[in-house]
Amino acid sequence: MKISLNWLKEYISFEGDPKALADSLTMAGLEVEEIVERGKIPAGIVVGKILERNPHPNSDHLSICKVDSGKGILQIVCGAPNCDAGKTVPLALEGTSFPDPEGGKPFVIKPCKLRGVESFGMMCSERELGLSEEHGGLMILPDNLPAGMDFSEYVTQDTIYTVEITPNRPDWLSHWGVARDVGALMGGKRRFPDTSVPSVEGWESWGDLVDVRERTLCPHYTARVIRGVKVGESPAWLKERLNAVGIRPINNIVDVTNFVMMELGEPLHAFDSRFLEGKKIVVRKAEEGEKIVALDGKEYTLDNSMLVIADKVKPVAIAGIMGGEYSGVMADTTEIILESAYFQPSSIRATSRKLGLSSDSSYRFERGVDPEMIENASNRAAGLIIKLAGGQLVSELVSVKSRPAERLRIICSFDKIRKLLGMNPTNEEMIDIFRKLGLLVSDVQETNCLVTVPGFRADIRETADLAEEIARIYGLDKLPDIPVQAAKVLPYSADSYAKMEGLRKDFIAAGLNECVNGSFIDEKSALSDPSVAPEDLLKVNNPISPDYAVLRATLLPGMMATIKRNIFQKNTDLAMFEIGHVFCANREKFAEERDDLVVLMTGNRHPERYCAEASEKYDFYDLKGLVESVLEARKVKKVRFEACTDARFAKGCAAKVIIGGKEAGVLGKINDKLTKGMRLTAPLFAAIFQADILLEAETEKILYKDLPTFPSTSRDVAFLAPLTLENATVIDFIRKANVKFLTDVKIFDIFQGEQLGEGKKSMAYSLTFRCDDRTLTDEEVNKEHEKLREKLSASLGVELR
Amino acid sequence: MLNELLEKLNEISQMVEKDFAEAKNPADIEAAKVKFTGRNGSITALAPMMGKIAKEDKPAAGKAFNEVKALVAKCMEEAKDRLDDGTSAGEVLDVTLPGRKWTMGTQHPVTRTIDECCAIFRRMGFTVAAGPEIDTVANCFDKLNAPLDHPSRDPKDTFYFDDGRLMRTQTSTVQIRTMLSQKPPIRIVSPGRCFRRDTPDATHGVHFHQIEGLYVDKNVSLADLKSTLKAFANEFFGEGVSIRMRPHFFPFTEPSAECDFSCVMCGGKGCRVCKNSGWLEILGCGMVNPNVLRNVGINPDEWQGFAFGMGIERLAMLKYRIGDLRLFSENDLRFLKQF
Repeated sequence: MKISLNWLKEYISFEGDPKALADSLTMAGLEVEEIVERGKIPAGIVVGKILERNPHPNSDHLSICKVDSGKGILQIVCGAPNCDAGKTVPLALEGTSFPDPEGGKPFVIKPCKLRGVESFGMMCSERELGLSEEHGGLMILPDNLPAGMDFSEYVTQDTIYTVEITPNRPDWLSHWGVARDVGALMGGKRRFPDTSVPSVEGWESWGDLVDVRERTLCPHYTARVIRGVKVGESPAWLKERLNAVGIRPINNIVDVTNFVMMELGEPLHAFDSRFLEGKKIVVRKAEEGEKIVALDGKEYTLDNSMLVIADKVKPVAIAGIMGGEYSGVMADTTEIILESAYFQPSSIRATSRKLGLSSDSSYRFERGVDPEMIENASNRAAGLIIKLAGGQLVSELVSVKSRPAERLRIICSFDKIRKLLGMNPTNEEMIDIFRKLGLLVSDVQETNCLVTVPGFRADIRETADLAEEIARIYGLDKLPDIPVQAAKVLPYSADSYAKMEGLRKDFIAAGLNECVNGSFIDEKSALSDPSVAPEDLLKVNNPISPDYAVLRATLLPGMMATIKRNIFQKNTDLAMFEIGHVFCANREKFAEERDDLVVLMTGNRHPERYCAEASEKYDFYDLKGLVESVLEARKVKKVRFEACTDARFAKGCAAKVIIGGKEAGVLGKINDKLTKGMRLTAPLFAAIFQADILLEAETEKILYKDLPTFPSTSRDVAFLAPLTLENATVIDFIRKANVKFLTDVKIFDIFQGEQLGEGKKSMAYSLTFRCDDRTLTDEEVNKEHEKLREKLSASLGVELR
Repeated sequence: MLNELLEKLNEISQMVEKDFAEAKNPADIEAAKVKFTGRNGSITALAPMMGKIAKEDKPAAGKAFNEVKALVAKCMEEAKDRLDDGTSAGEVLDVTLPGRKWTMGTQHPVTRTIDECCAIFRRMGFTVAAGPEIDTVANCFDKLNAPLDHPSRDPKDTFYFDDGRLMRTQTSTVQIRTMLSQKPPIRIVSPGRCFRRDTPDATHGVHFHQIEGLYVDKNVSLADLKSTLKAFANEFFGEGVSIRMRPHFFPFTEPSAECDFSCVMCGGKGCRVCKNSGWLEILGCGMVNPNVLRNVGINPDEWQGFAFGMGIERLAMLKYRIGDLRLFSENDLRFLKQF
């Protein structure tokens, strides 16, 4: 909303710096977003008199004018339709510099040729001078101004604030309301505008003019009749006020209603009584499907939740939102019915939203106007209309009012306010602030007082709200700096986020790049993961677009899209992971939400290295090794990998990861069917985990073991085995073979080749022997080694080499 | 015979010391070694004399031989040491070739910012609390004192499910859940993902991340809130940052304020980012509205507290000077590697 400083000054004296006032208002919660100096006229603009108007030979919309600039007659080519001889207009002389509103280069007036005719200046519209949005023609000045007079002497200087008003403060939607806070901040007494009403002449009985059938939606409706008005242009002062706050002047009647709205915050409406059939105002709900053409020229279809103002047969206004096109004030209107009312905010908001129609009026009603201002506003407008448009009141104010709500009284504890704020204003300072804000203070005691809240501050309900008033006016900048107190700190185990943070940091430490993908994806992508079934997908009722239709059930599709995007950007060597929320509608799979972890790898293992290393591709064992390393670093116990078949992975290249008997995840080479169109340069590997199983896995407690005192001895064993024999089987067999002194066994070579025979591979293991209390002799070790070789050969069916 | 031998050996000893002391390069050393102990060396040449030595003199002669051989060895080592300044290694490296880098991972700026915020607030005694992203209207709006016709509840702005539940629009849901399940004092921050029905562009996304704080105790005041936020601002953006609080309106707090940080781009002098105001709007905050406390069964006459909430992406964009929100969800490796 726009606030004019000149207008404010009608109600409160203020002589300070406009910028300082803006800062004070901002710090009191009325945020001033922009300050514009209005009427700052560039030097070089004078009053000009058009002496002659001739058509332009090469244009049918341009005219060639002779203009008296006070210091000579200038030829000026003008495109305005109203540059008639005899008019007095603002004239920008050669050299006048108009600043660019966007901050660009200024526009300077220079002699020029327009369609071949020379022109020595420019006559201006109101918009060109920053005085209004009016650009339909030249600004027409009073004829008594002398040619050559400095135009800036004629224009009123003003400061216009654009303010952001929070929804709790409808009282700020008027100059009177803002003046109240200016007074509280800056001091000074406010002057209420003149709301006296001329006496009624030729009294007629209008007692049954208004019939309010919806008392809840319209607790207060007033109307009065003014006869004999003459519709015409508003005086300059009124147009100036409206232009200053960005409202286009229309005619004296409409302008007065808008003026009073901006002055007192109460939207008013004037009907032409000719168009009210039966001279009757009925406040009722619309009938289902009832139609009305509003002032914006559009037809609206109403339903029976919407409140309308109707005459005997038809709606004439959508209550509180917009009048009807055929019932408003026209050029030939002579008798008006002036409406001032209170409509229930939620009803106005709902109707406005349903119709997609809002106005300055609905904006105020849906936030709540001051219920105590209804009659004053009507009086104020009636007085002004009669003054400006003539006419006389032929009715008293017809007022239909439900029993008014009582003003709220709050027992205000001074100490509670001080305790809430952590500041120490005195009782007297607080009472002073309340009174300046128009709150009524009574029953002042040592510890508390009674605050009565007038209608314009419906937002104040209890002590906390009063505390805010103190904070605003006393000043949040007075809040003291106090040391931050450490509190009772909950144990790490209660901090589930910290555990997830730990998991994330382990994968980062292992060298992966972390990704964060969206929760919403399109249904087709979500289902591109073969582990996801259509019934797993959770869908919102109101997706923003099909691209964000479902919640991801797994992380894989989002990460695959990330991989694809990266490869398109020529980032071909990728080792990435994401930890994120996934969702499932099928409670048999999991209860709605959980965190998953996915790792994806493709491309070169060491892209930054050179020679042969540079072209080594990631393979299954890189991914598995990464998983093993992270699990080892986390001291996770009982980890097992087991070959599996899974539609997400290529056949024979997938393994389940089993931790403590539970399936924690799966890893392998992604099935080619899933990578079509991705332009992969190398196979893609993925590991997919359920984060909670990783976080809750049993871990080994770290307990120091003495370093071995005696040296170890090692032996190898190599054999030919069938291709199907798994490493884990061999290791398990050796571990369980009762070999004395054996402390470690690991594979050190594996190969296949024609010379070994079909279906065979060679496996070689390194065995470590050690005894804690002495150095082992060769004989002892050889004996155990030989025993193991025999067992392998006999029980595992391998050919020793 | 013995004396003759000893005399010769003595002469040789002096020559050994002299020759090795004068050696100027490895070749000189090698030549000296050959001269004394080579196949035709002067010491080797004396060996036959041993046969002519009387039996009782043999130990003395042997000892003398050994001594002179030991001297050769010692002088040769000394000469080598003297000539070797450590530069004679055989291998010559191109030290400008790239090293075999150890791969270091990177953390996404969103989670990095969340973690950093959590670390700061943990040091101030806050516990990090988590909650589901699908929640009830009660937890997301009703209990937070949002009016029934508040625009944020509109299906235009919030995602709803058939059963009436919704995607949380703020992590305040976690505050409600915590206050319902624990007794005060409560001191938590809740980071996490939230959802609003915005069409994605450079400054909006379907999802975004937030961190919210809640502190309820007997005497927590607006001044505590300001001091906590000031401490946060200084830890997150640096010591020079100042803050200001402006009264504002939120349904869940009363009094409410917006908290501005002095512009981290221009230091408060005014620039394009802060629209020449010197201040950046960072967060909303205030004292928990008594209605919210009542809604979760906490007596507002006995307890009071503050709450605040801020956007993670906004913090990250300011801290790392990121201009486009979409970078966060594109996960381009070149972007990720910068963190």
